Amino acid sequence: MAHFDTEYQRLEASYSDSPPGEENLLVHVPEGSKSPWHHIENLDLFFQRVYNLHQKNGFTCMLLGEIFELVQLVFVVAFTVFLANCVDYDILFANKFVNHTDSSKVTLPDAFLPVDVCSARIHDNVFVIFILIISGVFWLHRLVKFIYNICCYWEIRSFYINALKMTMADIPYFTWQEVQARIIEIQKEHQICIHKKELTELDIYHRILRFKNYMVAMVNKSLLPVRFCLPLLGNTVFYTRGLKYNFELIFFWGPGSLFENEWSLKPEYKRGGNRLELADRLSSRILWIGIANLLLCPVILIWQILYAFFSYTEVIKREPGSLGARCWSLYGRFYLRHFNELDHELMSRLSKGYKASSKYMNCFMSPLLTVVAKNVAFFAGSILAVLIALTIYDEDVLAVEHVLSSITLLGVCITICRSFIPDKHMVYCPEQLLKVILAHIHYMPDHWQGNAHRYETRDEFAQLFQYKAVFILEELLSPVITPFILIFCLRRKSLEIIDFFRNFTVDVVGVGDTCSFAQMDVRQHGHPAWMSAGKTEASIYQQAEDGKTELSLMHFAITNPHWQPPRESTHFISLLKEKVHREAAAVQQGVIAENPAFTSTHSQSDSEPRSLIANLLMGPPSLASLHLGREGSINPVSIGVSEGASALHSISPVSTSLHLRGSYPSARLPRPDHPAVVAGRAMTGSGTDARTISSGSSAWEGQLTSMILSEYASTEMSIHALYMHEMHKQQSRGEVSRHTWHRQESDESSESVNEDIEAARNFPRSSTFPTTSHQEGPAQQSSSQRRYGGASDPVSGSFRAQRTPRMPMGGWSEENQMGRHHDPVPEEGSEDELPPQIHKVQHASVNMKQW
Amino acid sequence: MCVDISYTIMNCRSEVLEVSVEGRQVDEAMLAVLHTILLHRSTGKFHYKKEGTYSIGTVGTQDVDCDFIDFTFVRVSSDELDRVIRKAVAEFKDALGNSGSDGMGQISLEFYQKKKSRWPFSDECIPWEVWSIKVNVVNLANEQERQICREKVGEKLGEKVINIVEVINRHDYLPKMPTQSEVDNVFDTSLKDVQPYLYKITYQITDSLGTSVSTTMRRLIKDTLAL
Repeated sequence: MAHFDTEYQRLEASYSDSPPGEENLLVHVPEGSKSPWHHIENLDLFFQRVYNLHQKNGFTCMLLGEIFELVQLVFVVAFTVFLANCVDYDILFANKFVNHTDSSKVTLPDAFLPVDVCSARIHDNVFVIFILIISGVFWLHRLVKFIYNICCYWEIRSFYINALKMTMADIPYFTWQEVQARIIEIQKEHQICIHKKELTELDIYHRILRFKNYMVAMVNKSLLPVRFCLPLLGNTVFYTRGLKYNFELIFFWGPGSLFENEWSLKPEYKRGGNRLELADRLSSRILWIGIANLLLCPVILIWQILYAFFSYTEVIKREPGSLGARCWSLYGRFYLRHFNELDHELMSRLSKGYKASSKYMNCFMSPLLTVVAKNVAFFAGSILAVLIALTIYDEDVLAVEHVLSSITLLGVCITICRSFIPDKHMVYCPEQLLKVILAHIHYMPDHWQGNAHRYETRDEFAQLFQYKAVFILEELLSPVITPFILIFCLRRKSLEIIDFFRNFTVDVVGVGDTCSFAQMDVRQHGHPAWMSAGKTEASIYQQAEDGKTELSLMHFAITNPHWQPPRESTHFISLLKEKVHREAAAVQQGVIAENPAFTSTHSQSDSEPRSLIANLLMGPPSLASLHLGREGSINPVSIGVSEGASALHSISPVSTSLHLRGSYPSARLPRPDHPAVVAGRAMTGSGTDARTISSGSSAWEGQLTSMILSEYASTEMSIHALYMHEMHKQQSRGEVSRHTWHRQESDESSESVNEDIEAARNFPRSSTFPTTSHQEGPAQQSSSQRRYGGASDPVSGSFRAQRTPRMPMGGWSEENQMGRHHDPVPEEGSEDELPPQIHKVQHASVNMKQW
Repeated sequence: MCVDISYTIMNCRSEVLEVSVEGRQVDEAMLAVLHTILLHRSTGKFHYKKEGTYSIGTVGTQDVDCDFIDFTFVRVSSDELDRVIRKAVAEFKDALGNSGSDGMGQISLEFYQKKKSRWPFSDECIPWEVWSIKVNVVNLANEQERQICREKVGEKLGEKVINIVEVINRHDYLPKMPTQSEVDNVFDTSLKDVQPYLYKITYQITDSLGTSVSTTMRRLIKDTLAL
């Protein structure tokens, strides 16, 4: 290698190493990295922490909360050990007498054993030592984590203060949307992400919700084994926190998981080549994790019991009715969650739907139970009354053995009975209640509509909205059941899981690997029955069920008005809005012509169909006044749409010239003489106005607090959800409905595809397998047929009526024709005994040839 | 001390170049690419003055003619830098020869900046740009093919240089110019005559492309902590 020196040489001789004689001319000023926030290494974690700190209302609250959690842990363990070993129960129950010299009163300290006896008892008990050691290890782990977290969150705290210019005290009063807007703002200055000059809202959401989106998509596509058909209980859903934790461990972060780090899938999982090998590996990993769960089961079980005991006994004692209260089940939270929906958004939505949902469930009080409960309550009440009366007369009655306890028990009994006696003033209108619920929860299987009064619907809704008691029971059972679900159910799905991650992962520049459903691209994942007909190019396998893509898109666009969706999505949104306006205008005219006195006669207005929406806007408390809508002159079929559309119209800007300032005060101060309904409408009207204007021009951005925006956003979204569901219902009218709710594990559904059910039962693995050769033919045919139909006539439902059973690419098929009542599905055990691997490989080879 | 970072890094640009060369051309080709990148990622030495200003020293350049490729590239005329790069490339070439595999390897040049952090954590090295050069070594049968290869590789390298310059002209993120106290966090100030951005050269032979055991362990610990 030869070097030829050119004339561009370094000036070796120069003393100051700057051009001679020009020392003062070429002088630079360093920008310095004044902020430590430019170029953050792990943006996923960073945004998650920023979000968490916001949700936990600042650093101090979080710190206190965590410290108390640690203390609580010590307390639970110490107190249990103390109760078990250091208390002389004989003294407490007065079976044994203490000899006191001065007084005859027994005091609490008398019941405690002396320290040396106590410690000796603890030392002798191996089991207690074992528990102490385990909880000690657990506690130390928590402590280390706590210290680590505090250090990390300290950084985030200074990020809030120095970069976002928010003090910790202010955090609870800022909405997340505001925080997010500031982050986007400072990206321009600090460049926290170096790939892009500007961040978008979607980028931040993707980062925070990367794994949650995957889980939502997997629940949506019925990939996770959470539905079971049990011999006695029938169709049940079992999804607990323990199970969820294990799923996440297997897929996302555990050792040897599918993800290499927080933001990228391992490259081998992105290639289709060795999917079988990967599936085998995954399946053996699941097996090991299942076994580990099984081994740790006693420890986890003890912990769960202790934890449940200490966290719930107090509540149950205070209000025994709380066991009869309901809560949204974990499964429900995943079923109802939009893609890209943060925790607080979901929770506020579900909480709004809570009252209506409990009312709906109370509609189904069993009359038999009511009669029994009424009478039990009567007898118990009489005895209680006598006892209380006696006590008032002379309190020595309390000293009689068991009087105090029977008073307590009777009280509990009456409270329980009362929860079975329906409210006298309640009106039975499940269909409307369900509609109100839908407005908040946004998702609902098709076949519920029109069947709201049926017990099947109620039972299915109960899977989303379960008793708190059931929830606690499931959590307690979880450690025992989880390993079996992992070993016997999840393992069979390993190939589907591998396929899922390969097919539905996209690499977004600057964000990393995300679930492609979370892109909310109507073209890729839209469902033709959900108004994206003609726009979607998705195969059945790629379509999100229940209109999730469409609804999520609307939800995200509404909650983040500044977000610029991609072109197709913008088109979808504007088309939908235009449609709504058009129909609303038509309906509105008709309605006004019919009932010109609507605004003045409030007393009659709740017989008006629109009152549903009005009530909905006013919030759930006023729902008690709901009656069945007057259906006289309006075609009952279109009632839903007209409701949605007219309400939408009323809250959407009637004239965009309406100035924000003009409408804003009216939103703040609804005039008292106005009927409530009108006030509600006015509020929402101006609210949406404000939103639209603010998203159109940035002039008002600063003036509107996003708190107001987010409140109206949820209303707007509710109405859009109602409207979309109505459209969907009309579109699929006369079709064989697609019962996604009852979408079974693919084993069973494909049995309905295969003529020969017995054969399918013998090859459980084969039917799970995607694109088995004999099933692909009809699938492609019908999907092309569907696409053709969809393009030519989006509203017509006829093409769906002739749908033949299809197997989508990934092996999910939704059974049709079967209606809502399923044949009992064979027990799990019978399938597990078969050697599945062999069949799987056979079909794989068939499949590979096809490719 | 900074730890090595696995090859996918989140908040970081990454550029991949691929070259197919003959065995004896490996080091020259690598030198050509690495030096070209470093030429654009180096400045003259900073001389800080009072009032927080500084002036930048000069950088000389040098043409280098390759022996086995019809190619000439420009490098910073700093022998020290050249020595460091040559050493890394030589190691890579040895590893490639010893691997016994069919001659696939990857050498990456990673620019990073250091971030001082508080007591419990060590300093972080956060990469902002990674250049990965994938090398595919081909075996040639006769002299004529070698001659063709010599010309073709030269052309290819010319294209690569254009690519590199295009990327560098894009005005993407670069660390901000530091103040005197922070200059070590951004620039490599150990060389006497030139001051490149902090960089690190690592290589991988195809067999060992998976993540190492130590990274897995570290991730495990981090994951459990971050639960």
